[in-house]
Amino acid sequence: MLTNREATLDELRAHALQIRRNVWRALHAAGSGHMGGSLSAADILAALYFHHLRLRPSEPDWADRDRFILSKGHANAALGAVLAQAGFIDDAVLDQFYAYESLFGMHPDIKMAGVEMSTGGLGHGLSIGLGVALGARLQNKGFRTIVMLGDGELQEGSNWEAAMAASHQKAANLTAILDYNKVQQSGHVSEMLTLEPAPDKWRAFGWAVREIDGHDMDQIISALDELPYVEDKPSIIIAHTVKGKGVSFAEDTHLWHNNMVPDEVFEKAMAELGEPA
Amino acid sequence: MSAASTNPEWVAKVQNQSRLSFGLAVTDMAARDDRVVAISADTLDLIGLREMVAAAPERVIEAGIAEQNAMGMASGLATTGMRPYLCGYAPFITARSMEQLRNDVAYANQRVVIGAACSGIVLGVSGGTHHALEDIALMRSLPNMTVMVPADALEAWHLTQATETLDGPSYVRIGGKFDEPAVTAVDASPTIGKATTLRRGTDVTVIACGCMVVEALAAADELASEGIGVRVLNMHTIKPLDRDAVLAAAAETRGIVAAEEHHLTGGLGGAIAELVAEEHPTRMRFVGMPDTFATVGPTRKVREKYGMSAANIAVKCRELMG
Repeated sequence: MLTNREATLDELRAHALQIRRNVWRALHAAGSGHMGGSLSAADILAALYFHHLRLRPSEPDWADRDRFILSKGHANAALGAVLAQAGFIDDAVLDQFYAYESLFGMHPDIKMAGVEMSTGGLGHGLSIGLGVALGARLQNKGFRTIVMLGDGELQEGSNWEAAMAASHQKAANLTAILDYNKVQQSGHVSEMLTLEPAPDKWRAFGWAVREIDGHDMDQIISALDELPYVEDKPSIIIAHTVKGKGVSFAEDTHLWHNNMVPDEVFEKAMAELGEPA
Repeated sequence: MSAASTNPEWVAKVQNQSRLSFGLAVTDMAARDDRVVAISADTLDLIGLREMVAAAPERVIEAGIAEQNAMGMASGLATTGMRPYLCGYAPFITARSMEQLRNDVAYANQRVVIGAACSGIVLGVSGGTHHALEDIALMRSLPNMTVMVPADALEAWHLTQATETLDGPSYVRIGGKFDEPAVTAVDASPTIGKATTLRRGTDVTVIACGCMVVEALAAADELASEGIGVRVLNMHTIKPLDRDAVLAAAAETRGIVAAEEHHLTGGLGGAIAELVAEEHPTRMRFVGMPDTFATVGPTRKVREKYGMSAANIAVKCRELMG
Protein backbone atom coordinates (compact mmCIF):
# COMPACT_ATOMS: atom_id res chain seq x y z
CA MET A 1 0.00 0.00 0.00
CA LEU A 2 1.24 3.48 -0.86
CA THR A 3 2.03 5.92 1.89
CA ASN A 4 0.19 9.23 1.83
CA ARG A 5 3.23 10.98 0.42
CA GLU A 6 3.70 8.42 -2.31
CA ALA A 7 0.04 8.69 -3.22
CA THR A 8 0.35 12.48 -3.36
CA LEU A 9 3.41 12.23 -5.57
CA ASP A 10 1.67 9.83 -7.94
CA GLU A 11 -1.33 12.11 -8.14
CA LEU A 12 0.84 15.13 -8.90
CA ARG A 13 2.79 13.21 -11.54
CA ALA A 14 -0.51 12.34 -13.21
CA HIS A 15 -1.49 16.02 -13.17
CA ALA A 16 1.88 16.92 -14.69
CA LEU A 17 1.42 14.38 -17.46
CA GLN A 18 -2.03 15.81 -18.12
CA ILE A 19 -0.54 19.33 -18.30
CA ARG A 20 1.93 18.10 -20.93
CA ARG A 21 -0.85 16.46 -22.92
CA ASN A 22 -2.95 19.63 -22.67
CA VAL A 23 -0.01 21.78 -23.77
CA TRP A 24 0.31 19.69 -26.92
CA ARG A 25 -3.45 19.84 -27.39
CA ALA A 26 -3.48 23.65 -27.16
CA LEU A 27 -0.51 24.04 -29.50
CA HIS A 28 -2.03 21.61 -31.95
CA ALA A 29 -5.26 23.61 -31.90
CA ALA A 30 -3.29 26.84 -32.45
CA GLY A 31 -1.02 25.26 -35.05
CA SER A 32 2.14 26.30 -33.22
CA GLY A 33 3.50 27.57 -29.93
CA HIS A 34 6.16 27.62 -27.25
CA MET A 35 6.59 23.93 -26.57
CA GLY A 36 9.94 23.65 -24.82
CA GLY A 37 9.43 26.11 -21.97
CA SER A 38 5.88 24.92 -21.36
CA LEU A 39 6.94 21.30 -20.92
CA SER A 40 9.89 22.15 -18.66
CA ALA A 41 7.52 23.91 -16.25
CA ALA A 42 4.82 21.21 -16.13
CA ASP A 43 5.90 19.33 -13.00
CA ILE A 44 6.36 22.50 -10.97
CA LEU A 45 2.98 23.86 -12.10
CA ALA A 46 1.29 20.61 -11.07
CA ALA A 47 2.86 20.83 -7.61
CA LEU A 48 1.86 24.49 -7.27
CA TYR A 49 -1.77 24.19 -8.34
CA PHE A 50 -2.58 20.78 -6.86
CA HIS A 51 -0.47 20.87 -3.71
CA HIS A 52 0.94 24.23 -2.64
CA LEU A 53 -1.15 27.25 -3.61
CA ARG A 54 -4.25 28.15 -1.57
CA LEU A 55 -6.81 28.93 -4.24
CA ARG A 56 -10.54 28.83 -4.86
CA PRO A 57 -11.11 28.06 -8.55
CA SER A 58 -14.80 28.94 -8.22
CA GLU A 59 -13.83 32.28 -6.66
CA PRO A 60 -10.74 33.31 -8.66
CA ASP A 61 -10.62 36.82 -7.13
CA TRP A 62 -10.77 35.56 -3.52
CA ALA A 63 -8.85 38.29 -1.66
CA ASP A 64 -6.71 35.93 0.44
CA ARG A 65 -5.65 33.59 -2.37
CA ASP A 66 -2.00 32.88 -2.97
CA ARG A 67 -0.71 34.62 -6.08
CA PHE A 68 1.17 32.93 -8.90
CA ILE A 69 2.71 35.08 -11.62
CA LEU A 70 4.11 33.46 -14.73
CA SER A 71 6.88 35.88 -15.58
CA LYS A 72 8.03 33.67 -18.46
CA GLY A 73 4.72 34.41 -20.10
CA HIS A 74 5.51 32.52 -23.29
CA ALA A 75 4.78 29.32 -21.34
CA ASN A 76 1.12 30.34 -21.22
CA ALA A 77 0.00 27.06 -22.78
CA ALA A 78 1.11 25.33 -19.59
CA LEU A 79 -0.59 27.93 -17.41
CA GLY A 80 -3.82 27.57 -19.38
CA ALA A 81 -3.56 23.79 -19.06
CA VAL A 82 -3.20 23.86 -15.29
CA LEU A 83 -5.93 26.51 -14.90
CA ALA A 84 -8.29 24.29 -16.89
CA GLN A 85 -7.36 21.19 -14.92
CA ALA A 86 -7.85 23.09 -11.63
CA GLY A 87 -11.25 24.35 -12.76
CA PHE A 88 -10.56 28.08 -13.19
CA ILE A 89 -11.46 27.98 -16.87
CA ASP A 90 -13.52 25.67 -19.02
CA ASP A 91 -11.62 22.78 -20.53
CA ALA A 92 -12.85 23.86 -23.97
CA VAL A 93 -10.79 27.07 -23.67
CA LEU A 94 -7.70 24.97 -24.38
CA ASP A 95 -8.92 24.53 -27.92
CA GLN A 96 -9.13 28.33 -28.26
CA PHE A 97 -5.37 28.91 -27.97
CA TYR A 98 -4.48 31.80 -30.35
CA ALA A 99 -8.09 31.98 -31.52
CA TYR A 100 -9.56 35.31 -32.62
CA GLU A 101 -10.70 37.33 -29.57
CA SER A 102 -9.72 34.49 -27.22
CA LEU A 103 -8.46 35.40 -23.74
CA PHE A 104 -6.07 32.47 -24.18
CA GLY A 105 -3.38 33.90 -26.43
CA MET A 106 0.34 33.33 -26.61
CA HIS A 107 0.85 35.22 -23.34
CA PRO A 108 -1.21 35.43 -20.13
CA ASP A 109 -4.07 37.93 -20.02
CA ILE A 110 -5.15 39.31 -16.65
CA LYS A 111 -8.74 39.24 -17.89
CA MET A 112 -8.77 35.43 -17.88
CA ALA A 113 -9.91 33.77 -14.64
CA GLY A 114 -6.96 32.69 -12.53
CA VAL A 115 -4.40 34.85 -14.33
CA GLU A 116 -2.83 37.34 -11.91
CA MET A 117 -1.02 39.54 -14.43
CA SER A 118 -0.61 40.07 -18.13
CA THR A 119 2.96 39.04 -18.82
CA GLY A 120 5.05 38.28 -21.86
CA GLY A 121 7.53 41.11 -21.98
CA LEU A 122 10.44 39.48 -20.17
CA GLY A 123 11.83 40.70 -16.89
CA HIS A 124 8.55 42.06 -15.51
CA GLY A 125 7.16 39.39 -13.20
CA LEU A 126 9.56 39.62 -10.29
CA SER A 127 8.94 43.35 -9.77
CA ILE A 128 5.20 42.81 -10.00
CA GLY A 129 5.43 39.91 -7.56
CA LEU A 130 7.41 42.03 -5.13
CA GLY A 131 4.71 44.69 -5.31
CA VAL A 132 2.08 42.03 -4.59
CA ALA A 133 4.11 40.71 -1.66
CA LEU A 134 4.51 44.21 -0.22
CA GLY A 135 0.78 44.77 -0.70
CA ALA A 136 0.13 41.63 1.36
CA ARG A 137 2.44 42.82 4.11
CA LEU A 138 0.92 46.31 4.22
CA GLN A 139 -2.55 44.81 4.57
CA ASN A 140 -1.48 42.17 7.12
CA LYS A 141 -2.53 39.41 4.78
CA GLY A 142 -0.94 36.01 4.88
CA PHE A 143 -1.15 35.09 1.23
CA ARG A 144 2.03 34.04 -0.52
CA THR A 145 3.39 35.22 -3.85
CA ILE A 146 5.25 32.95 -6.23
CA VAL A 147 6.84 34.11 -9.47
CA MET A 148 8.09 31.70 -12.10
CA LEU A 149 11.10 33.01 -13.99
CA GLY A 150 12.68 31.77 -17.18
CA ASP A 151 16.42 31.47 -17.53
CA GLY A 152 16.82 33.50 -20.71
CA GLU A 153 14.57 36.07 -19.09
CA LEU A 154 17.15 36.68 -16.37
CA GLN A 155 19.33 38.38 -18.96
CA GLU A 156 16.96 41.37 -18.58
CA GLY A 157 18.47 43.80 -16.08
CA SER A 158 15.12 44.65 -14.49
CA ASN A 159 15.18 41.27 -12.71
CA TRP A 160 18.25 42.30 -10.81
CA GLU A 161 16.67 45.57 -9.74
CA ALA A 162 13.81 43.48 -8.36
CA ALA A 163 16.20 40.99 -6.75
CA MET A 164 17.99 43.81 -4.94
CA ALA A 165 14.73 45.41 -3.85
CA ALA A 166 13.17 42.18 -2.57
CA SER A 167 16.04 41.40 -0.24
CA HIS A 168 16.26 45.04 0.85
CA GLN A 169 12.55 44.82 1.73
CA LYS A 170 13.11 41.47 3.50
CA ALA A 171 10.18 40.11 1.49
CA ALA A 172 10.11 36.57 2.91
CA ASN A 173 6.56 36.16 1.56
CA LEU A 174 7.96 36.27 -1.99
CA THR A 175 9.30 33.19 -3.74
CA ALA A 176 10.84 32.93 -7.18
CA ILE A 177 11.08 29.66 -9.04
CA LEU A 178 13.63 29.59 -11.82
CA ASP A 179 12.67 27.13 -14.55
CA TYR A 180 16.29 26.58 -15.47
CA ASN A 181 15.94 24.57 -18.65
CA LYS A 182 19.23 25.95 -20.03
CA VAL A 183 17.87 26.82 -23.47
CA GLN A 184 16.56 30.04 -24.93
CA GLN A 185 15.18 30.98 -28.35
CA SER A 186 18.44 30.94 -30.31
CA GLY A 187 20.56 28.47 -28.39
CA HIS A 188 21.83 27.34 -25.01
CA VAL A 189 21.86 30.03 -22.34
CA SER A 190 25.47 29.18 -21.50
CA GLU A 191 26.47 30.10 -25.05
CA MET A 192 24.21 33.15 -25.47
CA LEU A 193 24.74 35.02 -22.19
CA THR A 194 25.43 32.76 -19.27
CA LEU A 195 23.69 33.05 -15.90
CA GLU A 196 26.40 31.13 -14.09
CA PRO A 197 27.19 31.04 -11.31
CA ALA A 198 23.42 31.43 -10.89
CA PRO A 199 23.05 30.28 -7.24
CA ASP A 200 25.94 32.51 -6.17
CA LYS A 201 24.39 35.50 -7.92
CA TRP A 202 21.10 35.06 -6.05
CA ARG A 203 22.87 34.53 -2.74
CA ALA A 204 24.91 37.67 -3.36
CA PHE A 205 21.67 39.56 -3.97
CA GLY A 206 20.44 38.49 -0.53
CA TRP A 207 18.14 35.59 -1.38
CA ALA A 208 17.80 32.19 0.26
CA VAL A 209 18.59 29.66 -2.46
CA ARG A 210 17.62 26.03 -2.93
CA GLU A 211 18.52 23.94 -5.96
CA ILE A 212 16.34 21.02 -7.02
CA ASP A 213 15.64 18.73 -9.93
CA GLY A 214 12.56 20.43 -11.35
CA HIS A 215 11.17 17.14 -12.64
CA ASP A 216 11.52 15.22 -9.36
CA MET A 217 8.12 15.64 -7.70
CA ASP A 218 9.45 14.61 -4.31
CA GLN A 219 12.08 17.36 -4.41
CA ILE A 220 9.59 19.91 -5.76
CA ILE A 221 7.05 19.51 -3.00
CA SER A 222 9.72 19.41 -0.31
CA ALA A 223 11.10 22.68 -1.63
CA LEU A 224 7.62 24.24 -1.61
CA ASP A 225 6.59 22.83 1.77
CA GLU A 226 9.69 24.20 3.48
CA LEU A 227 9.26 27.82 2.34
CA PRO A 228 10.44 30.31 3.43
CA TYR A 229 13.95 29.06 3.98
CA VAL A 230 15.13 32.05 6.00
CA GLU A 231 12.87 34.20 8.14
CA ASP A 232 13.67 37.56 6.60
CA LYS A 233 14.78 36.74 3.08
CA PRO A 234 12.97 36.11 -0.19
CA SER A 235 13.47 32.56 -1.47
CA ILE A 236 14.40 31.23 -4.85
CA ILE A 237 14.05 27.65 -5.97
CA ILE A 238 16.48 27.07 -8.79
CA ALA A 239 14.82 24.18 -10.56
CA HIS A 240 17.08 22.39 -13.00
CA THR A 241 14.82 21.28 -15.80
CA VAL A 242 14.93 19.98 -19.35
CA LYS A 243 13.49 22.06 -22.15
CA GLY A 244 10.76 20.08 -23.91
CA LYS A 245 10.71 17.48 -21.09
CA GLY A 246 8.67 14.36 -21.77
CA VAL A 247 8.86 14.22 -25.55
CA SER A 248 12.17 12.84 -26.81
CA PHE A 249 12.45 14.81 -30.01
CA ALA A 250 11.73 18.14 -28.28
CA GLU A 251 14.16 17.82 -25.37
CA ASP A 252 17.12 20.13 -24.72
CA THR A 253 17.08 22.01 -28.00
CA HIS A 254 16.28 25.55 -29.00
CA LEU A 255 14.71 24.11 -32.13
CA TRP A 256 11.65 23.35 -29.98
CA HIS A 257 11.40 26.77 -28.34
CA ASN A 258 8.52 27.85 -30.57
CA ASN A 259 7.30 25.56 -33.32
CA MET A 260 4.65 24.49 -35.76
CA VAL A 261 2.62 21.52 -34.56
CA PRO A 262 1.13 19.68 -37.53
CA ASP A 263 -1.00 16.53 -37.04
CA GLU A 264 1.81 14.04 -37.45
CA VAL A 265 4.02 15.75 -34.86
CA PHE A 266 1.10 16.03 -32.46
CA GLU A 267 0.31 12.33 -32.77
CA LYS A 268 3.94 11.36 -32.29
CA ALA A 269 4.17 13.46 -29.14
CA MET A 270 0.93 12.18 -27.66
CA ALA A 271 2.06 8.61 -28.28
CA GLU A 272 5.21 9.30 -26.24
CA LEU A 273 3.29 10.94 -23.42
CA GLY A 274 0.72 8.18 -23.04
CA GLU A 275 -2.44 8.28 -20.94
CA PRO A 276 -2.34 9.38 -17.30
CA ALA A 277 -2.71 6.48 -14.88
CA MET B 1 -8.95 70.37 0.21
CA SER B 2 -9.36 74.01 -0.65
CA ALA B 3 -9.04 74.81 3.02
CA ALA B 4 -5.68 73.08 3.13
CA SER B 5 -4.48 74.69 -0.04
CA THR B 6 -5.27 78.24 1.12
CA ASN B 7 -3.72 77.63 4.51
CA PRO B 8 -0.65 79.91 4.83
CA GLU B 9 1.35 77.05 6.28
CA TRP B 10 0.56 74.91 3.24
CA VAL B 11 1.37 77.73 0.86
CA ALA B 12 4.72 78.20 2.59
CA LYS B 13 5.51 74.50 2.32
CA VAL B 14 4.65 74.35 -1.33
CA GLN B 15 6.64 77.46 -2.24
CA ASN B 16 4.74 77.69 -5.51
CA GLN B 17 6.25 74.38 -6.59
CA SER B 18 3.98 71.74 -8.03
CA ARG B 19 6.44 68.93 -7.23
CA LEU B 20 6.03 69.57 -3.47
CA SER B 21 2.31 69.97 -3.94
CA PHE B 22 2.08 66.47 -5.41
CA GLY B 23 3.87 64.89 -2.46
CA LEU B 24 1.85 66.83 0.10
CA ALA B 25 -1.37 65.82 -1.63
CA VAL B 26 -0.32 62.16 -1.47
CA THR B 27 0.56 62.61 2.21
CA ASP B 28 -2.84 64.20 2.81
CA MET B 29 -4.66 61.34 1.07
CA ALA B 30 -2.58 58.76 2.94
CA ALA B 31 -3.80 60.18 6.25
CA ARG B 32 -7.39 59.35 5.39
CA ASP B 33 -6.94 56.27 3.19
CA ASP B 34 -4.86 53.30 4.36
CA ARG B 35 -4.58 52.07 0.78
CA VAL B 36 -2.45 55.02 -0.33
CA VAL B 37 1.21 54.08 -0.70
CA ALA B 38 4.01 56.20 -2.15
CA ILE B 39 6.87 54.71 -4.13
CA SER B 40 9.93 56.88 -4.52
CA ALA B 41 12.70 56.46 -7.07
CA ASP B 42 15.18 58.40 -4.94
CA THR B 43 12.81 61.37 -4.97
CA LEU B 44 11.76 61.78 -1.32
CA ASP B 45 12.75 65.44 -1.12
CA LEU B 46 12.24 66.24 -4.75
CA ILE B 47 8.57 65.37 -4.55
CA GLY B 48 7.72 66.38 -0.98
CA LEU B 49 7.39 62.98 0.70
CA ARG B 50 9.36 63.65 3.91
CA GLU B 51 6.21 64.37 5.92
CA MET B 52 4.71 61.08 4.79
CA VAL B 53 7.90 59.28 5.76
CA ALA B 54 7.38 60.69 9.25
CA ALA B 55 3.64 60.05 9.41
CA ALA B 56 3.35 56.67 7.69
CA PRO B 57 6.86 55.27 7.08
CA GLU B 58 5.57 51.79 6.22
CA ARG B 59 3.65 53.28 3.31
CA VAL B 60 6.59 55.01 1.68
CA ILE B 61 8.56 52.48 -0.35
CA GLU B 62 11.96 53.69 -1.47
CA ALA B 63 12.72 51.86 -4.71
CA GLY B 64 16.10 53.45 -5.27
CA ILE B 65 17.30 54.57 -8.66
CA ALA B 66 15.59 51.66 -10.36
CA GLU B 67 12.56 52.92 -12.26
CA GLN B 68 11.76 49.67 -14.05
CA ASN B 69 11.37 47.81 -10.78
CA ALA B 70 9.51 50.73 -9.23
CA MET B 71 6.94 50.66 -12.02
CA GLY B 72 6.44 46.90 -11.80
CA MET B 73 6.10 47.06 -8.02
CA ALA B 74 3.49 49.79 -8.36
CA SER B 75 1.46 47.54 -10.64
CA GLY B 76 1.77 44.60 -8.26
CA LEU B 77 0.71 46.73 -5.29
CA ALA B 78 -2.32 47.95 -7.23
CA THR B 79 -3.48 44.38 -7.89
CA THR B 80 -3.77 43.86 -4.13
CA GLY B 81 -6.07 46.86 -3.70
CA MET B 82 -3.40 49.33 -2.60
CA ARG B 83 -3.32 52.76 -4.25
CA PRO B 84 0.25 53.41 -5.36
CA TYR B 85 1.58 56.88 -6.16
CA LEU B 86 4.83 56.48 -8.01
CA CYS B 87 7.17 59.46 -7.81
CA GLY B 88 10.05 59.96 -10.20
CA TYR B 89 11.87 62.28 -12.53
CA ALA B 90 9.81 62.81 -15.68
CA PRO B 91 12.61 61.92 -18.13
CA PHE B 92 13.39 58.64 -16.36
CA ILE B 93 10.07 57.42 -14.97
CA THR B 94 8.66 57.52 -18.49
CA ALA B 95 11.42 56.57 -20.91
CA ARG B 96 13.47 54.22 -18.71
CA SER B 97 10.48 52.21 -17.51
CA MET B 98 8.33 52.61 -20.60
CA GLU B 99 7.81 48.88 -21.16
CA GLN B 100 6.73 48.33 -17.56
CA LEU B 101 4.50 51.38 -17.86
CA ARG B 102 2.91 50.08 -21.04
CA ASN B 103 2.56 46.39 -20.08
CA ASP B 104 2.22 46.25 -16.30
CA VAL B 105 0.32 49.50 -15.76
CA ALA B 106 -1.55 50.54 -18.93
CA TYR B 107 -2.17 47.17 -20.62
CA ALA B 108 -3.03 45.47 -17.33
CA ASN B 109 -5.09 48.60 -16.53
CA GLN B 110 -3.85 48.99 -12.97
CA ARG B 111 -4.67 52.02 -10.87
CA VAL B 112 -1.20 53.53 -10.59
CA VAL B 113 -0.72 57.31 -10.37
CA ILE B 114 2.63 58.54 -11.69
CA GLY B 115 3.95 61.85 -10.40
CA ALA B 116 6.59 62.97 -12.89
CA ALA B 117 8.68 65.87 -11.61
CA CYS B 118 11.12 68.05 -13.50
CA SER B 119 9.26 67.76 -16.77
CA GLY B 120 10.01 69.76 -19.90
CA ILE B 121 13.18 71.85 -19.62
CA VAL B 122 12.95 72.26 -15.85
CA LEU B 123 16.40 70.66 -15.59
CA GLY B 124 17.70 73.08 -18.20
CA VAL B 125 21.34 73.16 -17.18
CA SER B 126 21.43 69.36 -16.93
CA GLY B 127 21.18 69.10 -20.68
CA GLY B 128 19.25 66.88 -23.05
CA THR B 129 19.68 63.69 -21.03
CA HIS B 130 17.53 65.27 -18.31
CA HIS B 131 14.94 67.12 -20.37
CA ALA B 132 11.51 65.51 -20.75
CA LEU B 133 10.04 66.82 -23.97
CA GLU B 134 8.44 63.65 -25.30
CA ASP B 135 6.66 62.34 -22.18
CA ILE B 136 3.20 63.68 -23.07
CA ALA B 137 3.43 61.94 -26.45
CA LEU B 138 4.49 58.69 -24.81
CA MET B 139 1.74 58.81 -22.19
CA ARG B 140 -0.94 60.02 -24.57
CA SER B 141 -0.32 57.09 -26.89
CA LEU B 142 -1.17 54.54 -24.17
CA PRO B 143 -4.76 53.27 -23.97
CA ASN B 144 -6.37 53.54 -20.50
CA MET B 145 -4.00 56.37 -19.48
CA THR B 146 -5.21 59.73 -18.13
CA VAL B 147 -2.66 62.51 -18.72
CA MET B 148 -2.62 65.70 -16.66
CA VAL B 149 -0.38 68.77 -16.79
CA PRO B 150 -1.18 71.14 -13.92
CA ALA B 151 -0.37 74.81 -14.45
CA ASP B 152 0.65 75.67 -10.90
CA ALA B 153 1.10 74.26 -7.41
CA LEU B 154 -2.53 74.63 -6.41
CA GLU B 155 -3.75 72.87 -9.53
CA ALA B 156 -1.22 70.09 -8.95
CA TRP B 157 -2.71 69.65 -5.49
CA HIS B 158 -6.28 69.50 -6.81
CA LEU B 159 -5.56 67.19 -9.73
CA THR B 160 -3.52 64.83 -7.56
CA GLN B 161 -6.42 64.67 -5.13
CA ALA B 162 -8.82 64.17 -8.04
CA THR B 163 -7.02 60.96 -9.02
CA GLU B 164 -9.00 59.36 -6.19
CA THR B 165 -11.91 59.24 -8.63
CA LEU B 166 -9.99 57.36 -11.34
CA ASP B 167 -10.12 53.60 -11.81
CA GLY B 168 -7.24 53.27 -14.27
CA PRO B 169 -3.67 54.55 -14.57
CA SER B 170 -2.80 58.24 -14.69
CA TYR B 171 0.16 60.54 -15.25
CA VAL B 172 0.64 63.88 -13.52
CA ARG B 173 3.34 65.98 -15.19
CA ILE B 174 4.82 68.42 -12.73
CA GLY B 175 7.59 70.98 -12.45
CA GLY B 176 10.80 71.34 -10.54
CA LYS B 177 12.72 73.39 -8.06
CA PHE B 178 11.74 76.89 -8.99
CA ASP B 179 8.80 79.15 -8.43
CA GLU B 180 5.81 78.50 -10.66
CA PRO B 181 3.55 81.58 -10.69
CA ALA B 182 0.00 80.95 -9.53
CA VAL B 183 -2.46 81.16 -12.39
CA THR B 184 -5.44 79.23 -11.09
CA ALA B 185 -7.95 80.76 -8.69
CA VAL B 186 -7.68 79.87 -5.02
CA ASP B 187 -11.26 78.58 -5.07
CA ALA B 188 -10.78 76.71 -8.36
CA SER B 189 -11.69 73.07 -8.34
CA PRO B 190 -10.47 71.58 -11.60
CA THR B 191 -12.26 68.55 -12.99
CA ILE B 192 -10.20 65.94 -14.81
CA GLY B 193 -11.03 66.18 -18.50
CA LYS B 194 -12.57 69.68 -18.35
CA ALA B 195 -10.57 72.69 -19.50
CA THR B 196 -10.63 75.84 -17.39
CA THR B 197 -11.43 79.07 -19.20
CA LEU B 198 -9.12 81.82 -17.90
CA ARG B 199 -9.97 84.55 -20.47
CA ARG B 200 -13.20 84.76 -22.42
CA GLY B 201 -12.07 86.39 -25.69
CA THR B 202 -13.73 85.71 -29.02
CA ASP B 203 -11.03 86.67 -31.57
CA VAL B 204 -8.49 83.88 -31.19
CA THR B 205 -7.96 81.06 -28.68
CA VAL B 206 -4.78 79.98 -26.93
CA ILE B 207 -4.98 76.47 -25.49
CA ALA B 208 -2.07 75.96 -23.12
CA CYS B 209 -0.94 73.54 -20.45
CA GLY B 210 1.56 73.57 -17.61
CA CYS B 211 4.07 76.39 -17.48
CA MET B 212 2.81 77.83 -20.76
CA VAL B 213 -0.49 78.87 -19.22
CA VAL B 214 1.06 81.86 -17.49
CA GLU B 215 2.75 82.79 -20.78
CA ALA B 216 -0.61 82.55 -22.54
CA LEU B 217 -2.15 84.92 -20.02
CA ALA B 218 0.68 87.42 -20.50
CA ALA B 219 0.21 87.22 -24.28
CA ALA B 220 -3.53 87.75 -23.88
CA ASP B 221 -2.93 90.84 -21.76
CA GLU B 222 -0.52 92.25 -24.34
CA LEU B 223 -2.94 91.57 -27.20
CA ALA B 224 -5.84 93.10 -25.27
CA SER B 225 -4.03 96.41 -25.46
CA GLU B 226 -4.08 96.01 -29.25
CA GLY B 227 -7.81 95.35 -29.19
CA ILE B 228 -7.50 91.60 -29.77
CA GLY B 229 -9.68 89.48 -27.50
CA VAL B 230 -7.88 86.22 -26.70
CA ARG B 231 -9.64 83.23 -25.21
CA VAL B 232 -7.27 81.37 -22.92
CA LEU B 233 -8.01 77.77 -22.01
CA ASN B 234 -5.96 75.96 -19.39
CA MET B 235 -6.00 72.42 -20.77
CA HIS B 236 -4.75 70.71 -17.61
CA THR B 237 -5.95 67.33 -18.90
CA ILE B 238 -4.42 66.26 -22.20
CA LYS B 239 -6.22 62.91 -22.18
CA PRO B 240 -9.14 62.64 -22.19
CA LEU B 241 -9.14 65.92 -24.10
CA ASP B 242 -12.01 68.34 -23.46
CA ARG B 243 -13.61 68.00 -26.89
CA ASP B 244 -16.39 70.48 -26.21
CA ALA B 245 -14.02 73.28 -25.22
CA VAL B 246 -11.77 72.70 -28.23
CA LEU B 247 -14.62 72.48 -30.73
CA ALA B 248 -16.26 75.59 -29.27
CA ALA B 249 -12.97 77.46 -29.68
CA ALA B 250 -12.74 76.23 -33.27
CA ALA B 251 -16.29 77.37 -33.98
CA GLU B 252 -16.32 80.65 -32.09
CA THR B 253 -12.85 82.15 -32.70
CA ARG B 254 -10.64 82.65 -35.77
CA GLY B 255 -8.14 79.97 -34.86
CA ILE B 256 -6.28 78.11 -32.13
CA VAL B 257 -2.73 78.51 -30.84
CA ALA B 258 -1.55 75.47 -28.88
CA ALA B 259 1.19 76.18 -26.34
CA GLU B 260 3.14 73.60 -24.39
CA GLU B 261 6.61 72.87 -23.04
CA HIS B 262 6.95 69.71 -25.13
CA HIS B 263 8.01 68.64 -28.59
CA LEU B 264 5.62 69.79 -31.28
CA THR B 265 5.17 66.12 -32.15
CA GLY B 266 2.57 64.21 -30.20
CA GLY B 267 1.69 66.60 -27.40
CA LEU B 268 -1.20 68.96 -26.64
CA GLY B 269 -1.05 70.65 -30.03
CA GLY B 270 -1.14 67.32 -31.78
CA ALA B 271 -4.12 66.19 -29.74
CA ILE B 272 -6.03 69.37 -30.61
CA ALA B 273 -5.10 69.13 -34.29
CA GLU B 274 -6.24 65.50 -34.48
CA LEU B 275 -9.63 66.51 -33.12
CA VAL B 276 -10.31 69.67 -35.15
CA ALA B 277 -8.98 68.17 -38.40
CA GLU B 278 -11.80 65.66 -38.33
CA GLU B 279 -14.58 67.53 -36.62
CA HIS B 280 -14.15 71.27 -37.18
CA PRO B 281 -11.15 72.23 -39.31
CA THR B 282 -9.72 75.57 -38.25
CA ARG B 283 -6.44 77.45 -38.60
CA MET B 284 -3.85 76.53 -35.99
CA ARG B 285 -0.44 77.62 -34.80
CA PHE B 286 1.89 75.67 -32.53
CA VAL B 287 4.16 76.87 -29.75
CA GLY B 288 6.47 74.22 -28.35
CA MET B 289 9.82 72.56 -28.79
CA PRO B 290 10.89 72.12 -32.43
CA ASP B 291 12.34 68.83 -33.68
CA THR B 292 15.73 69.20 -32.05
CA PHE B 293 17.31 68.56 -28.66
CA ALA B 294 17.43 71.64 -26.48
CA THR B 295 20.61 73.40 -25.56
CA VAL B 296 21.99 73.64 -22.01
CA GLY B 297 20.94 76.69 -20.06
CA PRO B 298 18.65 78.26 -17.47
CA THR B 299 15.11 76.99 -17.94
CA ARG B 300 13.34 80.20 -18.89
CA LYS B 301 16.10 81.31 -21.23
CA VAL B 302 16.08 77.96 -23.00
CA ARG B 303 12.29 78.01 -23.29
CA GLU B 304 12.47 81.46 -24.86
CA LYS B 305 15.17 80.41 -27.30
CA TYR B 306 12.82 77.85 -28.81
CA GLY B 307 9.78 80.12 -28.79
CA MET B 308 8.04 78.92 -25.66
CA SER B 309 7.25 82.43 -24.48
CA ALA B 310 4.43 84.96 -24.19
CA ALA B 311 6.00 87.00 -26.99
CA ASN B 312 5.90 84.10 -29.44
CA ILE B 313 2.36 83.15 -28.44
CA ALA B 314 1.36 86.75 -29.23
CA VAL B 315 3.09 86.51 -32.63
CA LYS B 316 1.14 83.35 -33.44
CA CYS B 317 -2.13 84.94 -32.36
CA ARG B 318 -1.54 87.95 -34.61
CA GLU B 319 -0.90 85.57 -37.53
CA LEU B 320 -4.33 84.05 -36.99
CA MET B 321 -5.93 87.52 -36.96
CA GLY B 322 -4.58 88.23 -40.45
